[in-house]
Amino acid sequence: MAAVRYACRDGIRLVARHWGMSFLTIFTAMSVFYIIGASTLFVLNIRNIVGAMENQLSIQAYLKPGVDIESVAKKIRSIQGVKNVKIITKEMALEKLRSRIGSQADAVMLLGENPLPASIEVRVSKASGVAEIARILVAVPEVEDIVYAGSVAEKLTNVSNFVERFSIIMLIIAIAASGIVLFNTIRISIYSREEEIGVMMMVGATSTYVALPFVIQGFLLGLTGALLASLLLGGSYYSAVIRLKEMLPFLPFLESPKLIGKLGFMLVCCGTAISLIASLIAVEGFIRKASKPL
Amino acid sequence: MDIKFSGVTKIFPPDIVALEDIYLQVDRGEFVYLVGATGSGKTTLMRCISREVIPTRGQISVGGNMLRKIGRFDLALFRRDIGVVFQDFMLLPNLTAFENVAFVLEVMGLPSKEISDRVSEVLKTVGIWRRRNLYPPQMSGGEQQRLAIARAIVNDPSLVLADEPTGNVDSCTADEIMQLFLEINAAGTTVLMATHNQTLVDTYRQRVVEIHHGRIVRDEAQGGYQLNGGC
Repeated sequence: MAAVRYACRDGIRLVARHWGMSFLTIFTAMSVFYIIGASTLFVLNIRNIVGAMENQLSIQAYLKPGVDIESVAKKIRSIQGVKNVKIITKEMALEKLRSRIGSQADAVMLLGENPLPASIEVRVSKASGVAEIARILVAVPEVEDIVYAGSVAEKLTNVSNFVERFSIIMLIIAIAASGIVLFNTIRISIYSREEEIGVMMMVGATSTYVALPFVIQGFLLGLTGALLASLLLGGSYYSAVIRLKEMLPFLPFLESPKLIGKLGFMLVCCGTAISLIASLIAVEGFIRKASKPL
Repeated sequence: MDIKFSGVTKIFPPDIVALEDIYLQVDRGEFVYLVGATGSGKTTLMRCISREVIPTRGQISVGGNMLRKIGRFDLALFRRDIGVVFQDFMLLPNLTAFENVAFVLEVMGLPSKEISDRVSEVLKTVGIWRRRNLYPPQMSGGEQQRLAIARAIVNDPSLVLADEPTGNVDSCTADEIMQLFLEINAAGTTVLMATHNQTLVDTYRQRVVEIHHGRIVRDEAQGGYQLNGGC
C-alpha cells in the first residue's frame, strides 16, 4: 500500500517537475486525440450520408407487356444485394405521371389504352452493388429495359472507400504520433532520474516499484490529453454541425449526444491505453538496461 | 551473511583482466579489509558481491544465493539485505539527509512511522541528526560519508560493503567512522571494507585480503596494511 501511495505521489511529482514537457505532451496528445476523434466523426458522417443516399438509390426495371409481375418481382427479390422491390403497375405509373405533370398526363390516354409499361423499382443494399445488379436484371427475359443512376452509385462507392482508407491511415499515424510523444516524455523523465533509479535498484527496489511512478506519469498525461480532446471535440463538433446544417440542409449530419459521448469515452480509453503501453515500453527498456550487470 | 568466491575471473572488454581466479571465503559476522593499489580489483570484487558485475568465469555465492542465476525480483530482495557505501557516496542531491536515508525503507514498503523512527535513530547513531534537513551538497565530506553509512545500515543489513569509506576525511573522522563499522560488525553484520587507510588497518587489526593485479596475494588474519604486491 505504501508503495502504491509512493508511486502515485511520485507520478504526480514527475508531471509537475517536468511541467514544460508535461504541457507539451498533453497538448500534443490532445491534438492527436482530437484529430482521431474528428476523423472518426468525419467518417461516420460520410457513411451516414452515403447510407442515406444508398437508400434512395434504385434501379427501375421496365417489364415486357403481359408478363406476370408478381413472379418477376419474386425472382428479382432473390438476387443477392437486393434490399427490396416495389411493383409499379401500369395504373400506378399513370397515377405517378399524373401527380407529376397534372392533367397533361391524360394526353397519353388519347392513344387509346394506357401505354405506360409496368415496372419494378429495385432498391439495393450497397451503392457498390448497383452496377452488378443492373447487369443481372438486363439478363432477366421478362425485363425489357432498365434505368439507373450508374455514375452516382459509382461515385458514392468511391467516396465511401476513399474516406474509409484515408481515415484508417490517419488513425494509424495519429496513434503512432501520440505513442512516440508519450514514449519520449517518459524517457526524458527516466533519464533525468537515472542516478536516483540506479541507487533505488542498488538498495533493493523491485522493477515494479521503479517503473510505477513513470507509468502513472504517462497515464496522467495521456488521460488528461484525451479528456481535453473529448471536451474540445464535443464543443467544436456541435457548433460545426449547426453551421453545416444551415449551409447544407439536405444532408443528414449525426447529432446524437449519445454517439458523441461514446466517442469521447472511446478516446479516453484509447488515450489511456496508448499512454500506458508507451510508458511501459519506455520504462521496461530502461530497467532492463540498468539491471543488466557489467 | 557469508560470501564464497570459487575461481572467479572477470575480464572487461576487450581484454582487461580485473579479477583472476579468485577463491575467497568470508564467514558470517567477519570483518575483512580489502587492500591493494588503485586499480588492483578491490572495487570490482565488491561490485561482484552486489551483482553490479557478473564474472566471466567462476561462481559467487552470497548468503546461499548463487548470484549468476538470481532473477530480477530475487536480486531486489537480496540487495535489501546488503548495505553499500559507495566510493563516491551516490547520495541524491535533491533529497535532504533524512530523505536520503528514508528512501531505502520506502523502497522496502515500510510504514511511515517506522521509517521515521528508524531514520531518526540511525542519523543519531552516525552523529548527523542535527544536519537531517540539509541537502548533501550543503554537507561536508565527512558528513556525506556518515550519511552514506547511515543509508547503508538503516535496514539492518546482514552484509555491509564499504568502498573507501574513509577517503577524503581527516584522521579523527576516519577513526569515528571506523568505530561505527566496528559497532555494526559487533552486532553480527559481516563487513567488507576496501581501504587505502594504512593507519586504520594497522590500528584496528582484522582479517586483511590483499589484491594485486586482480589476484589475491595475501589473506591474513589480524594482518597489517603493508602491501606485498607493492603500490
